[in-house]
Amino acid sequence: MLEQLLIFTRGGLILWTCKELGNALRGSPIDTLIRSCLLEERSGSASYNYDAPGASYTLKWTFHNDLGLVFVAVYQRILHLLYVDDLLSVVKKEFSEIYDLKRTSYNDFDDIFQQLKKEAEARAEEMKKSKQVGKSMNNNLARKLGNVLNGNMDGGNKKKSGGEPGNDRDSGNFKGRPLENGNISNNHIGKGEETMMVKNNGKENGISNTGAFDVNKLQKLRSKGGKKTETVSNKVSKEEPKKITKKNRVWDDSPKEAKLDFTDPGSENGEQHIAVVAADQGESMMDKEEIVSSDSESESEEEETSKNNKVDGKKKGWFSSMFQSIAGKANLENSDLEPALKALKDRLMTKNVAEEIAEKLCESVASSLEGKRLASFTRISSTVQAAMEDALTRILTPRRSIDILRDVHAAKEQGKPYVVVFVGVNGVGKSTNLAKVAYWLQQHNVNVMMAACDTFRSGAVEQLRTHARRLQIPIFEKGYEKDPAIVAKEAIQEASRNGSDVVLVDTAGRMQDNEPLMRALSKLIYVNSPDLVLFVGEALVGNDAVDQLSKFNQKLGDLSPSPDPRLIDGILLTKFDTIDDKVGAALSMVYISGAPVMFVGCGQSYTDLKKLNVKSIVKTLLK
Amino acid sequence: MDKEKLDELKIQLQQLLNEAQEFVQQIPPAQLCTAVGVVLFTVFLFTVMYYLLKHRSANTILLTGLSGSGKTVLFYQLRDGSCHQGSVTSTKPNEGRFLLHSEANKLQKGKMKHVHVVDVPGHSRLLAKLDEFLSRAAGIVFVVDSVEFLPHLRIASEYLYDILTNASVVKRKTPLLLLCNKIDRVTAHSMDFIRRQLEKEMTVLSSADTSDEHTLGVVGEAFAFSQCHNKVTTAEASGLTGDIYHLEQFISECVKP
Repeated sequence: MLEQLLIFTRGGLILWTCKELGNALRGSPIDTLIRSCLLEERSGSASYNYDAPGASYTLKWTFHNDLGLVFVAVYQRILHLLYVDDLLSVVKKEFSEIYDLKRTSYNDFDDIFQQLKKEAEARAEEMKKSKQVGKSMNNNLARKLGNVLNGNMDGGNKKKSGGEPGNDRDSGNFKGRPLENGNISNNHIGKGEETMMVKNNGKENGISNTGAFDVNKLQKLRSKGGKKTETVSNKVSKEEPKKITKKNRVWDDSPKEAKLDFTDPGSENGEQHIAVVAADQGESMMDKEEIVSSDSESESEEEETSKNNKVDGKKKGWFSSMFQSIAGKANLENSDLEPALKALKDRLMTKNVAEEIAEKLCESVASSLEGKRLASFTRISSTVQAAMEDALTRILTPRRSIDILRDVHAAKEQGKPYVVVFVGVNGVGKSTNLAKVAYWLQQHNVNVMMAACDTFRSGAVEQLRTHARRLQIPIFEKGYEKDPAIVAKEAIQEASRNGSDVVLVDTAGRMQDNEPLMRALSKLIYVNSPDLVLFVGEALVGNDAVDQLSKFNQKLGDLSPSPDPRLIDGILLTKFDTIDDKVGAALSMVYISGAPVMFVGCGQSYTDLKKLNVKSIVKTLLK
Repeated sequence: MDKEKLDELKIQLQQLLNEAQEFVQQIPPAQLCTAVGVVLFTVFLFTVMYYLLKHRSANTILLTGLSGSGKTVLFYQLRDGSCHQGSVTSTKPNEGRFLLHSEANKLQKGKMKHVHVVDVPGHSRLLAKLDEFLSRAAGIVFVVDSVEFLPHLRIASEYLYDILTNASVVKRKTPLLLLCNKIDRVTAHSMDFIRRQLEKEMTVLSSADTSDEHTLGVVGEAFAFSQCHNKVTTAEASGLTGDIYHLEQFISECVKP
């Protein structure tokens, strides 16, 4: 049964709700749908699931883009109602006929709606019946199989003394269970078998007559596997005491060489030997305002692209398309939008946007443009372009404040340090950009401290030490082969002791598929509960960005022992100077994770850190 | 196929041009001059009227504020006197040019002015839409949710700070009304509390502001709304019950001159 059906304008006014289904919805599913789905450019997906304490709903929607109306149906997730899509489309058609811009109450629609609902339900029932006829054949076969197996089971039971009454009860229930569709009944059969097997196990009878899988055998296999691992570990422990150190091989009679160790013995006292680079290298680019040039070139480029579109797209003829664009009467259909959207999708993909993301975006734009009336003197391609530009601006605009300085102030007032953790895959530039962020914060009179929690990669601690020396900020390090979570914890304690405002934690790079490393990372985040989890991603990444971010978020959510796990809060985009105008990675990352881009690294010196300029990125993407 | 058609058209156009040229050369010069003069005059007239209209439509009132503060409800209260069946998060702005509902009922002897009210969505993703309307606003109403005020204090103060430091707002000294909505609820904070909290936050924001654009307040002193060059007032309202007297007063003050 439907829980609720709402009709509201894009401006937010509710025009009509079904008064019969008057159950108050738990939580606020409609608002959540708008915020998490429609405003996030995911309106191309089929449905949206909403969970509130005490209820779990599924929402389906449709738009009437010409009148600016949204139709939303809410129903319980466990009921897989089939008639909802159908109902929404007929409601849309009927309502748009009685809709008037000035009217705000539509009580006469109640009766129409009841009628439409009955019709839709009836149609769905018919469809179900026709499907069931096809499936009843499958059901009969399954039932026969089940009977055969049952017969064997009963036979087996009777052989033993004192067959349990439970078993007979089981088989009785088994036959009487309603078979809804072929698949479910097959599953039941399988399960029924298993329970029988387990019950008969205690008697240790050879029930392998039926030929299905034997729990006894499985248990034997498991114990065998256990024995195997034991033997392996024994071998390893036996080998350890026999460790022999390798001797240098000597060729000819050459004299013994001195130790091949060229490390500088005075590196610990580096401050005296190495000249300290002046920390003042100029203003970080974060504080410089970017000047966006006005779009005077866009007109000529549009003409060029439109020419290409005309050649590529349908050859409707020059006259009819010009006439339509002047008259502007055409209602946009999906077939009209397809060529323009395909061209846009290809253009986005040449700008290094992941293929999945480009596809979803185009679907979302299509759903928001379908049925809309073209304004006069506009081409289809320009309407689509404007809609896509709107959508891209919406996605790239951050959902929450990205002002770190403000957050640092707030944490300072509370008396505890602000902790930032840098995570990412190997080689994206975490340590380099950590130093850049430290430099920028320093310029704003914030006391920064670095924590070297990359205890795996050789040279990671030295790298951070060098940066710390050049910037003259304290660093907390514990060397290699230590547990990063504990190093981070101690670093934070040290920071609160010596009065640092910000702790920047560097972690080792790890692939998103590596389960033990992701577990270690989620442990680090869980133990230390940082204020900001910054995912560092390089702008050169292509389709892998989607995989990286979604797996990172998923693993951080799944492997965290707390019920409210911390996910990625922000993105740091690096190596931005290596891509000319192929800026699509920014869009892919923001779309898939919902986290805003807080910094952009555009070079290898300390000042090469800037903010993401949404307008210029959107312009570059659609050029 | 298309190329042939284009060639044909080109030949046709050229023929037309030649014919037109011959025709023009045949007209006596006096007529030509008067014709051109008439055309220029009408163009001039249209531009003058356009500018007048533009100036007149500077009676736009902006309803802004965070998402969920009650702007759409207030919009419909102003227009129709009731909030109908409720509202959801807006994804597009609501615009309307109308007589305030309360004034429409009264019998007035003088001419009543139509008011252009715009309700801009408050969701952070739709921030870009605000800039379009700020340059045309004669008055800005910043709606604040008095009940859920403290959790959103930071975001609200950042939003308000961005509005107050916007170039066109500073230049035109647009008056701003800080409207504390939802006072019909028991747990609503008072007007003064809200104003003081906002002032405190804005002090921190203006000291942490790093951009070169206009900054608020006096350096070194705590920020107060009285320090702004444009007039900032506070008032209370309740969208659901229809208690919007102060809001309507503000609107009539902004629109009159």
